[in-house]
Amino acid sequence: MTSAVQGPAIVTQDLTKRFGELEAVAAVDLALPPGRIYGLLGPNGSGKTTLIRLLAGLARPTSGTARVLGVEMPSRSNLEHIGYMTQADGIYAELSVWENVRFFAALFGVHDDNALLNVIEVVDLADRRNTPAFELSGGMRRRLSLACALVHKPAILFLDEPTVGIDPALRVQFWGYFRDLAEAGTTLLVASHVMDEADRCDELLLILHGRLLARGSGTDIREQAGVPDLEGAFLKLGDGSRPS
Amino acid sequence: MNLRRTFAISRRIANAFKRDERSLALMFVAPIIVLGLLGWVIRDQGEPETRFAVVNLAGAPGDRFQLAIEQAVADAGVTVVQVDDEPAARDALRNGDVDVVLVLPDDLLANPSGAPALRFITPGINPADDGGRVSRIQAALLPAMTGGAVPTIEPETIYGSPDGDQLDAFAPALVAFFAYFLVFVLTGISFLRERIGGTLERLLASPIRRSEIVTGYSAGFGFFATLQVILIMAFALGTIHVPANGPFPAFSIGLGIANAGSPALAFLVALLLALGAVNLGIFLSTFARTELQVVQFIPIVIVPQALLCGLLWPISSLPDLLQPIARVLPLTYAIDGLREVLVKGSDLSSDALRFDLAILAAIAVFLAVLASLTIRREVA
Repeated sequence: MTSAVQGPAIVTQDLTKRFGELEAVAAVDLALPPGRIYGLLGPNGSGKTTLIRLLAGLARPTSGTARVLGVEMPSRSNLEHIGYMTQADGIYAELSVWENVRFFAALFGVHDDNALLNVIEVVDLADRRNTPAFELSGGMRRRLSLACALVHKPAILFLDEPTVGIDPALRVQFWGYFRDLAEAGTTLLVASHVMDEADRCDELLLILHGRLLARGSGTDIREQAGVPDLEGAFLKLGDGSRPS
Repeated sequence: MNLRRTFAISRRIANAFKRDERSLALMFVAPIIVLGLLGWVIRDQGEPETRFAVVNLAGAPGDRFQLAIEQAVADAGVTVVQVDDEPAARDALRNGDVDVVLVLPDDLLANPSGAPALRFITPGINPADDGGRVSRIQAALLPAMTGGAVPTIEPETIYGSPDGDQLDAFAPALVAFFAYFLVFVLTGISFLRERIGGTLERLLASPIRRSEIVTGYSAGFGFFATLQVILIMAFALGTIHVPANGPFPAFSIGLGIANAGSPALAFLVALLLALGAVNLGIFLSTFARTELQVVQFIPIVIVPQALLCGLLWPISSLPDLLQPIARVLPLTYAIDGLREVLVKGSDLSSDALRFDLAILAAIAVFLAVLASLTIRREVA
């Protein structure tokens, strides 16, 4: 279902979301070309999830605009092209692996059993097809959650902390999937607060207090900050942005 | 036993309570609300509107009694209606023009020393209503009966079998009550899980419409509500006799309640009620953060309905302020509809039944709209 959109996959202009006094996303301007992995990095509470929810059409901006694949969000019809893996697993514990994948596929109008089996194989759950989700380990549930976000072959994939709480081996496996997807033309926006995942992304977006702090490759950002590691770069760049 | 550790546990509970205002409110406010409501309903119960007719089979000697009775009940605020004879009186009861008919027997004065047998005829649809009205009339007559022998009362009903019991009248109400209560709790908890488990967020990130979610939920839970209603009705209406077998004595399964109407229509009433309950569950799940909080809605949502729906006291005798509330509760119409079908044997040609069905459908649609409004997505 990857659509051939010309120009950037994600464009935001002055995108702002306020909850009362709190400015969760503050005047974010972005233009992200397709087919790449973007790392959305920031500490807990920095506005990563709110930014993703705005882009996924689950929240309406207070001001500014968000365009995904050329369509202004929120747009229900555009959701066909978007995949979203939430921070919580967001799967039905009573349903089997197969039933979960089939359910989410049906929501997107996908009814091709072979395609579903394929997705289950990609996340390495083929031998657990008929296992109810409540019997799966934490890592398997994350993989199932990813499968449910992939079933409709979205052109854009939002992944909110996809590797939180999973072991290093599985993390490497996940980044392997992400790279394969990007090579096939999918645009991925991966929210994370794990800095050592940053170098696996093509480009990083550093966000703090809702503001975009810096953008570029890991190397660019380290050079910009004049420090050897990303944690240090984050702390240094973030120093000036703490609201008084 | 280490007192500090023990105290740490008690303090932990107190601290958690402090942040769970809902549970605290429930513990302290809910009993007051329920008891207060109960007190209000019982203490301030008005007299139900009562239309009363006397049929005199005793001829001229009975006229004196008829006049005295009519005078006594009229003084007590009962409306006296004139009817020609017993068949006319029964028609009036059937049409709902009269609530209670007293028949003076032809042997009223035949045995001056013996007690005359008075027949009170009521519709028999709602025993709470009938009982309230008959006792009101008896109370009005009591002062007029001093001196003579105390008459015996023979109650008789237009509908329902003469050898029926209380269960015949209560069963329709209980069928409705179970369908409503269990479906509400199940849907409320299930939808709450969608909200807190992240699956609702996922649903809303797909092209699904809110109306599709609500309709899908109604159909999904409606299916199980259907099975439940079929089972409850089969148990209530049917009986299977199991003969004695070896050491096991004979017994029967099912209540075998007298049923005058079509089980399919009764089922339709219960299903419409259950569909409303599904959507009430979705709607109220917005206001709960945990499964426990859904359960906490029971005393607020279910108990007042049980008190006000006409199961225990006739609606017309409720305090004035509570009557309009009783008339917007779905359970009120479901119980009335089920009585129309099961006790009275009404079919779709009955205006009363059509009205009950229409109101139940309207409430289900209203709650479905309310439910879909709580599923927020900022999608144009």
